[in-house]
Amino acid sequence: MKRSSIGVIAALILALAAASLAYAEGNARKGKFLYRQKCRTCHGTTASDLSPSSKTQADWKKTFAKWEGVKCVKEWKAVSEADRADIFAYLHDYAKDSPTPAKCN
Amino acid sequence: MSDSDTSQISRRDFMRLAGAAATTVAASAMTAVAAPEAKAAPAATAPNWESKFSVCDMCFNRCGLIARVEKGVITKLDPNPKFTKSRGMLCARGNAGVAQVYDPDRLKTPMLRVGKRGEGKWKSISWDEALELAASKMKDIAAKHTRCGMLFSAGADMQSGFVNRFAEVFGSFNVTSHESLCLLSGNRAFVDTFGDVPLPDVRNSKYVILAGANRLEALVTPDSMDLVTIMKEGAKVVVLDPRYTKSAALASEWHAIRPGTDMAFMLALAHVIITEKLYDAKYIDERVSGLDKLAAHVAELTPAWAEEQTGIPAADIARIARELAAAAPASMVYPGRRTSDYENSTQIRRSFAIVNALLGNYDRPGGLVPARPAGLKKVPAEPPWYDDNPPGRVDAGSVPLLFDEEGSFVLTRDAVIKGAPYPIKGWFVYKTNPMATAPERQKTREMIDKLDFMMVVDITMSDTAWMADLVLPAPSAMERTDPVQALQSGAEGACLVWRDAVIPPLYESRPVFDILKALAGKLGLGEFFDFDIPAYRLKQLAAFPEAAEILKRDGVFYPPNPPLGGTDGQPFKTPSQKIELYCSRYEGMGLDPLPVYAPPKASPDAARKFRLVAGRSACVTQGSSTNNPLLSEFEPENTLWLNDEAAKELGVKQGDVVLVESPVGKGELKALVTPKIRKDTVYMLSGFGSISGGLSHTKGVGASIVELMETRFDSICGNSAIHETFLSVKKKGAA
Repeated sequence: MKRSSIGVIAALILALAAASLAYAEGNARKGKFLYRQKCRTCHGTTASDLSPSSKTQADWKKTFAKWEGVKCVKEWKAVSEADRADIFAYLHDYAKDSPTPAKCN
Repeated sequence: MSDSDTSQISRRDFMRLAGAAATTVAASAMTAVAAPEAKAAPAATAPNWESKFSVCDMCFNRCGLIARVEKGVITKLDPNPKFTKSRGMLCARGNAGVAQVYDPDRLKTPMLRVGKRGEGKWKSISWDEALELAASKMKDIAAKHTRCGMLFSAGADMQSGFVNRFAEVFGSFNVTSHESLCLLSGNRAFVDTFGDVPLPDVRNSKYVILAGANRLEALVTPDSMDLVTIMKEGAKVVVLDPRYTKSAALASEWHAIRPGTDMAFMLALAHVIITEKLYDAKYIDERVSGLDKLAAHVAELTPAWAEEQTGIPAADIARIARELAAAAPASMVYPGRRTSDYENSTQIRRSFAIVNALLGNYDRPGGLVPARPAGLKKVPAEPPWYDDNPPGRVDAGSVPLLFDEEGSFVLTRDAVIKGAPYPIKGWFVYKTNPMATAPERQKTREMIDKLDFMMVVDITMSDTAWMADLVLPAPSAMERTDPVQALQSGAEGACLVWRDAVIPPLYESRPVFDILKALAGKLGLGEFFDFDIPAYRLKQLAAFPEAAEILKRDGVFYPPNPPLGGTDGQPFKTPSQKIELYCSRYEGMGLDPLPVYAPPKASPDAARKFRLVAGRSACVTQGSSTNNPLLSEFEPENTLWLNDEAAKELGVKQGDVVLVESPVGKGELKALVTPKIRKDTVYMLSGFGSISGGLSHTKGVGASIVELMETRFDSICGNSAIHETFLSVKKKGAA
């Protein structure tokens, strides 16, 4: 790829480094799978219909910071810390005010 | 080059006179036929055809239609008057849909490549053999290169969602659509400003700026028809375009803007609106963030400054800003559709979004309105997880703000060529044609040469199919049962459509859904395609038990449409929960939080002095329609629009064949010598200069625009940037 100036490349590298601010550290793709496996069984059937775009990134952060307080805490306890981080990454990265909000119909 | 006031008035007067003359003729015709009505009217007889609803497939608009079927043959397509999105219209391309169904160039059986890639030697094989081969190749690629080693690309089609579903359950993250060769820069800009991608409510607008959008030729329903209607009612439409397009010809005024300077124009509009306080201060205070920063940013960006950049007189820019603001909130900078122009196209479109924000037109009649609720239910799948897959898409991280579901075709292509960050060795393509739509066709060939297996499902042997190992014949839209699709129509809201087959599938064609279902079965993924389309549609329509009957009766269903203004008082879906003039997300990512203007780069080579711009005619949907037997009568070949003065300097006369050359490719086509284009710009249609032996009307006819375009991309979202190429032009045979 021909780039016109080193400046552009530098700006791009800087932007990519800073991009992490908009995205969480867990594996959002794995999180999507885990969310469907572990959360979707209730949310969308017997519990509220939730998707990443149900909340803002800040709201997801709050929810996950105090997950012991959520209604379905029993089910949450069965989810490992690593899996929880991935589920958080999915919900956070596709939140309604995220750069790529999850599509709904 | 802008029209003077005098010429605008005279043109408009002429149009008015022409309209009056047409009305007179119509009125006298009515008088002439009035007399026989006094006698007994003859009994109406039933027509000798069946009428069947369907949805047009000649472009992405999906206009409702009624097919006349006589003795099992479609003889005509008419607009569906109940389908209000198209205002009861079916365009020239829609009418030519019959020729698509009965095109002699259609694929008839599965075809296996037997010669070298692209050589055009094929063998007709059975479906069993074809599906077995495809499944085994996919298995091999997954085993050797992980499931992400398969790339899936689907065009805008009512069954394309099944390709994405298949990719997900198969386990590949690598999916591209046509959108990263088209509209993503605009989407990026509006998501980052408004938190969503609003739609223009042209019908109720009093003042529309069309910057680069040629909406009276590149038809978008209902916007194209509504522009004509509102102009009749006195609305003003201002066109900025280096070409005197048909939109320019019919508009209230046209300015031949210097290509690549739209941002300067928009920032100067913002300058006038802010310095003259032409905005609604209460609205801005409540709903918008970053006005102070924008005000400082545009303080020096006066109309006089913008005149130097754009070539549009400062007085006109200031006047347009005032007129636009006076008509607000029923006024807009039209967001446009294809926004794949420059490397900074996201920022250019941010400047469009910013002016709209200053007009306070969000969710207001005549402004930009949020997509209306369609109520369509998703039919979820729970795809398996494959632990050996790489962490993300092959183009992940190549630009700061990729849309994960779309990716970037040009960056994916680069990754396939490099084999990094990991190899992609298989490609499934459905009804999209990157060999005719992606810049630098040679690179697309290079990408294909890296593949172990490539399969294409399409109606005809497109240039992309021509390069494949396996080509499978799809039925035309008129031969298919399709799922429900929601379409948006400005303030009028969403409508739902589906397709039932008008005639049975021709030849041995099979819909892509059947192909994917069969492949899923062979790959142990059958449970994810354990349904048929009628059952799928019922799930989609779960919220509307009455919809299926209404769709059968009317060919369209309208879900309840809440009135505009429903978002008032609600937070915007941005980090600040307001419309962001100053983009906080960009600030956090080291990108310019306000659009910073830089003059378009000059040609690096004095011999290549013409900037190539792309666009459409009303009879062309790129490569998917140029080979249509009826449409090719209107557009039999493409020509190079060349300014008459420039032509004179080059010694080129009307109709001469010219040689055009860019750093990446060459072409030959006839010159259209015309004053209707700037001296520094050339234009040609896409979809010509095809390589496929299966395209009898376009193979080797005219020049291929993608052979000439250099690979450039939007540095924020990875959309292609197709106005960044300069061409040299000379008469064929000249020294």
